[in-house]
Amino acid sequence: MEEILQSPSMAKRAMWLVQLRWVAIGALVVATFVSRRFLGVKLASEQLYYLAGGLLVYNAALYGLLRWLTRSRAEPPSKAIGRVISLQISGDLAILTTILHFSGGIENPFAFFFVFHMIIASILRSPAESYVQAALACLLFGAVVVLEYAEWIRHYPLEGFAGHGLYRDGVFVLGTLFVFCVTLFLVVYMTTSIAQQVRAQQADLELANRQLKEQDKLKNEYVLRVSHDVKGHLAAIQSCIDTVHDGLLGPLNDAQKDMIGRAHRRTAQALAFVTDLLRLTHMKIAGKVQISCFPVRAMVAKAIGAVRDRAEAKSIGLSAEISPSLDIICGEQLLLEETLENLLFNAVRYTPAGGKVRLEVFDQGQEVVINVMDTGIGIPWDEMPHIFEEFYRASNARAVDREGTGLGLSFAKQVVERHGGRISVQNNQGGGCTFTIVLPKGADRGTGRT
Amino acid sequence: MARILIVDDDPDIIEAMRVVLENRGYDVDSALDGTKALERIGANRPDLIILDVMMTTPQEGFNLARQLKQDCQTAQIPILMLTAVKQKTGIDFKPEAGDQTWLPVEGYLDKPVRPDVLIQKVEALLHKG
Repeated sequence: MEEILQSPSMAKRAMWLVQLRWVAIGALVVATFVSRRFLGVKLASEQLYYLAGGLLVYNAALYGLLRWLTRSRAEPPSKAIGRVISLQISGDLAILTTILHFSGGIENPFAFFFVFHMIIASILRSPAESYVQAALACLLFGAVVVLEYAEWIRHYPLEGFAGHGLYRDGVFVLGTLFVFCVTLFLVVYMTTSIAQQVRAQQADLELANRQLKEQDKLKNEYVLRVSHDVKGHLAAIQSCIDTVHDGLLGPLNDAQKDMIGRAHRRTAQALAFVTDLLRLTHMKIAGKVQISCFPVRAMVAKAIGAVRDRAEAKSIGLSAEISPSLDIICGEQLLLEETLENLLFNAVRYTPAGGKVRLEVFDQGQEVVINVMDTGIGIPWDEMPHIFEEFYRASNARAVDREGTGLGLSFAKQVVERHGGRISVQNNQGGGCTFTIVLPKGADRGTGRT
Repeated sequence: MARILIVDDDPDIIEAMRVVLENRGYDVDSALDGTKALERIGANRPDLIILDVMMTTPQEGFNLARQLKQDCQTAQIPILMLTAVKQKTGIDFKPEAGDQTWLPVEGYLDKPVRPDVLIQKVEALLHKG
């Protein structure tokens, strides 16, 4: 049997059939009751109620079986579940046949409900099995109407609904049966053709998706390799320039100092860019974070400490508040500290002298919320959607400071998402903006998505 | 004056560091790989080793550091390792936490090292020893 659906969704479908059956059982009871009581159709209601009772037991057993098959297993056994689905479809054909037998046989138009079973078989199972199920339906229903016609078994008439004696009319019986069977086979033919097309498309999409992921991985490895090499050269250049720049090889005149200063600055910029790119790419390739729990206070103190000098140099008021109920935070410590430093660094960089930068960390149910607020230049509203994109820098940020790699916020986003959290930004009413990180509290929430 | 051995596969980095260190009066020796480093250590015992973490193979620096620390002749020589501490090296170690069993070195610096930072670190390590 070909694997048509992946097992988790197959298990879901199998359970869906069980749920549909609960509804069908209810409908059988209600329809029997209403037909007899209000429509005056004389039904063999006693037998039908017994059947409904039997169906309840049958459906409960299927429910139990499926629960047992899927219990505590991430990957339920797809073959077994496939067999349960086949069993359900065949069982339902037998049950519907029995119900029809007790409610008029060939005279009951509900016979065309077999179409539903054919559609379900065609979607969930293979074409071959669907044709077998169609043949089984024809055989079962055909046997009942032929046996009733031959009066080998009793006929339960639908008095008050269909003309009495139709079941004995050979032409009517054969004609109806013929149309019935042709309908079932046509339904299977049409549905399986469409289902196969959909499946083929799905397989193509999955393949394309896999290829894209593979290419993305190759790209990341390529970027990693190139930036690693370039970083090696830049580090050597920087080290050599440093010796001249710092006057270790003798004093420089002003023109030499100016030129070497320019070279020094540009190398530092290129190095910062390559370092950021390396970090971001490492993050993308690594895929998962190593989670441990550590004191929030230590993280905040470290991040604040990293930007204190810069803030003081610009007379920016730097403050931090941690809600008293929050002691520890779980995540990859170095990455979270770096992310926080990044955001604070940005806040200080884009806040004019005399402004304020504030860090808040607080508890919110199952999550930890970190706010980095500033009274800086804010972000133009139409550029908001791009702010976390790689290499993107807001126009006003570029105007304030030509340096900057445009990779800091992409890195922050990667880090936060790897932790199963989210990051967002909004402008404050009085000016400046607030970056908000929301992290799940549990240590087990880190995701290993690649 | 103290003798310092620089082990790095990049001759330009070695030269730049040599200028910085010699400027402060240190005696500087160098080696481009692990084998040459062991030769230099045997021939002329240094007071401090500056070791690049990634040389010919990503592990070479780590391996050399461990080998030196296991040998009682060289175990006392402080090692300053050049590595991207803040970057994931792909290897699970936490230099900032001082993971001495995994990697027994005395100090870490990220490349490129500013001359003043290098001098500061070197002096701290030499005086500690």
